[in-house]
Amino acid sequence: MRLLLLGNEAIAYGALSGGVAAATAYPGTPSTEILETLEEFKDRFVHWATNEKTAFELAYGAALAGARALTAMKHVGLNVAADPLHSAAYTGVEGGFLIVTADDPWMHSSQNEQDTRWYGLQSYVPVLEPSNPAEACKMAKAAFELSERLKHPVMLRSVTRVSHVRAPVELEPPAPPKWGRFTRDVKRFNLVPANARERRKELVEKWEKMRDVAGEYVSVEGSGDVAVVASGVAYNYVKEALRRLRISATVVKLGMPIPVPRKVAELAKSVIVVEEGDPVVEFQLRAMGVATKGKLDGYFPKYGELDIGKVAAGLAKALDLPYDPPQPPKPPVEPAPRPPALCPGCPHMGTFYILRLATAGLNPLWSGDIGCYSLGINMGQQDLITHMGSSVGLGAGISITGRHFVVATVGDSTFYHAVLPQLIDVATRQVPILIVVMDNAYTAMTGGQPSPSRAVPVEKITEALGLPTFVIDPVDIKRSVETVKKAVEVVKAGKPAVVVSRRPCTLIATRKARRAGLQLPKYRVDPDRCTGCGLCYNLLRCSAISKRPDKKAYVDPSLCVGCGMCAEVCPFGAFVPEGRRDRWLELWQQA
Amino acid sequence: MATSIVIMGVGGQGVLTLARWIGEAALAEGYDVRIAEIHGMSQRGGSVEVHVRFGREVYAPIVEEAGADLVIALEAVEALRGFRYLKPGGVLVINKRVIQPPGRWYELGEVVDAIRKSWPKTYIVPCYEAALGLGSALYENSVMLGFVSQLLGLPMPPSLDERNQAAFRKGMQLFQEAAAADQ
Ligand SMILES: Cc1ncc(C[n+]2csc(CCOP(=O)(O)OP(=O)(O)O)c2C)c(N)n1
Ligand code: SF4
Repeated sequence: MRLLLLGNEAIAYGALSGGVAAATAYPGTPSTEILETLEEFKDRFVHWATNEKTAFELAYGAALAGARALTAMKHVGLNVAADPLHSAAYTGVEGGFLIVTADDPWMHSSQNEQDTRWYGLQSYVPVLEPSNPAEACKMAKAAFELSERLKHPVMLRSVTRVSHVRAPVELEPPAPPKWGRFTRDVKRFNLVPANARERRKELVEKWEKMRDVAGEYVSVEGSGDVAVVASGVAYNYVKEALRRLRISATVVKLGMPIPVPRKVAELAKSVIVVEEGDPVVEFQLRAMGVATKGKLDGYFPKYGELDIGKVAAGLAKALDLPYDPPQPPKPPVEPAPRPPALCPGCPHMGTFYILRLATAGLNPLWSGDIGCYSLGINMGQQDLITHMGSSVGLGAGISITGRHFVVATVGDSTFYHAVLPQLIDVATRQVPILIVVMDNAYTAMTGGQPSPSRAVPVEKITEALGLPTFVIDPVDIKRSVETVKKAVEVVKAGKPAVVVSRRPCTLIATRKARRAGLQLPKYRVDPDRCTGCGLCYNLLRCSAISKRPDKKAYVDPSLCVGCGMCAEVCPFGAFVPEGRRDRWLELWQQA
Repeated sequence: MATSIVIMGVGGQGVLTLARWIGEAALAEGYDVRIAEIHGMSQRGGSVEVHVRFGREVYAPIVEEAGADLVIALEAVEALRGFRYLKPGGVLVINKRVIQPPGRWYELGEVVDAIRKSWPKTYIVPCYEAALGLGSALYENSVMLGFVSQLLGLPMPPSLDERNQAAFRKGMQLFQEAAAADQ
């Protein structure tokens, strides 16, 4: 069957036909759909883990016990799982173990541009790099056998333009899950120094053998004196750029760029190297004594994504050929930016408003985190965001300098992912910081995967640590402001405090309510009462409310979800409800 | 040779679905297809941009600046944003609708006139109006699909439900009217 599949779906189906038994992941764009696809298959162990490290460990453990296992994450997720990754290379595995990472060149939805192929070199784990969804499917399937043959983990590096590209894929039926059982071998699996030294020697030898294995993934096309080495998605741009420039070349396509096979160094003494990300292949080739023209000397751009034009320009420069591409036309009128915003009625909008009022006069430092609430940047309430857990981790570090009132805002999924250990530092050292857990019950930013917040409520944990904890409902703005003020007093007195702001993601709740046949209430503006003060559109910033030319507020009825937060903040009673809110608020809280 | 298309719109307008329909229709015709989607942040009310390429042999999944044969915009301000993708001689098709971005007001008529003047190969199509006529703004992407299918020589994709089929036919009809007016 030939279907238009997303690269991530193709990887999932490949793993299924490869007999994957255990699959784990923590969501992250552009990797999320791999596990979402596998979730439908109830005959295997499929699990959204608390973070990438626990996901990795579950799969690694299963593979040690002979099962075919997959773990998937976005590029930065591998930083979180880096510790067990390095051990996995030392112990090797019994069942096929496939680690999928999806890199995000030019950061469509990420905080950095990171080439995870480096991790392959650093940890001695071979890396497969597909150029399109069909190839990703085949590689994912074959990876399990390869891993079992080598008794070694195998990584598959995808990028946004493979994971989120839809292309025809030939589907094979799923194979039954392949489980196994653990066989004790202390010398191999217990990495005390005496054992680890032996494993290290083996690993270095194994790595040289893997160069030959990588040779099996080389294909050579075309002919000509010019040799172009291309890896992964870059191959596509090379094919079309060569055609555009009307030059014939020998194209050496690498399906396994880590480690670079010896064979490639033997093919040509001088090559052009085209790759997406860092010059990882180019570095290796230079180390093998091959003269290269690639990213290192600026033939191709050192940041951003490749495309046909950039590759054509680089090839032309390397070959001293003229290339004069058309210039992009300029629009007759400048388009205003349309940045992403919180959904109408988003609980985070209420929480930010409440926090602003409850900390008035304190000029807080807003230590932020990654999740939908990062859009609090639009309200000036996310001063720093660097990585998952930065809110409490960096916020506490700033707090100990003694000069700032720090408010750390963190989502529930991020709380379990990264903040739990930080809480213990905060509690044991009594760092004065206001930790606000925005508990919307889901991992919303990546599309609404489950979060552990209902099974393991945040306040149970913080109270066990002796941290004063206050639970609020973000749509109940006036009352919540008073509650948060109490938490603020605790921090002003030099101690940590926690606020749990609890209401599920509005996007998910409205979907469920509509399916249940509930008619959502709506709010409209009474223009006689509205004074145009702007509290609702400037401070609350509901995206269903806009400012009319006469400065009065306007609610777009097609966007309003009847949360009622506007009515809570308007001092003039200008927002008039149509329909009742109580039943909706109740259903919403259960969503 | 591949046909390169860029589709622009605002989150919630069905840009992804429109791209998939075009891809499905091309696949049904026996072409190779690549659709480059963007998921995540960019969908929350922000600008959305999807690339579609089809032909006998397609490799690259994305369209470069000045590389699109066709730019489809489901909204006029997004059409301005899509300008940079037009290759010399490329065609621009715009849904006659403005969704106001925050902080600046655009008059639909003025934007459309300015675009028409600076890019003569432009079609302004009342997809939004036609969709409302069919009962919901949700159909503006299927009206657009009907229109561009005529430009691209592609059939109706197999997965359209009945109401979207009606919208598709409306789009085809709008194309015939536009073509007749061109003569
Ligand atoms: C290490 C790492 N893994 C995954 C991601 C992708 N990611 C960004 S935010 C986020 C979680 C969002 O959930 P939550 O904190 O509950 O906030 P919400 O979006 O629900 O408001 C994820 C998974 C990331 N940026 N870094
Ligand atoms: S998806 Fe949910 S949490 Fe994210 S902005 Fe929308 S309502 Fe808020």
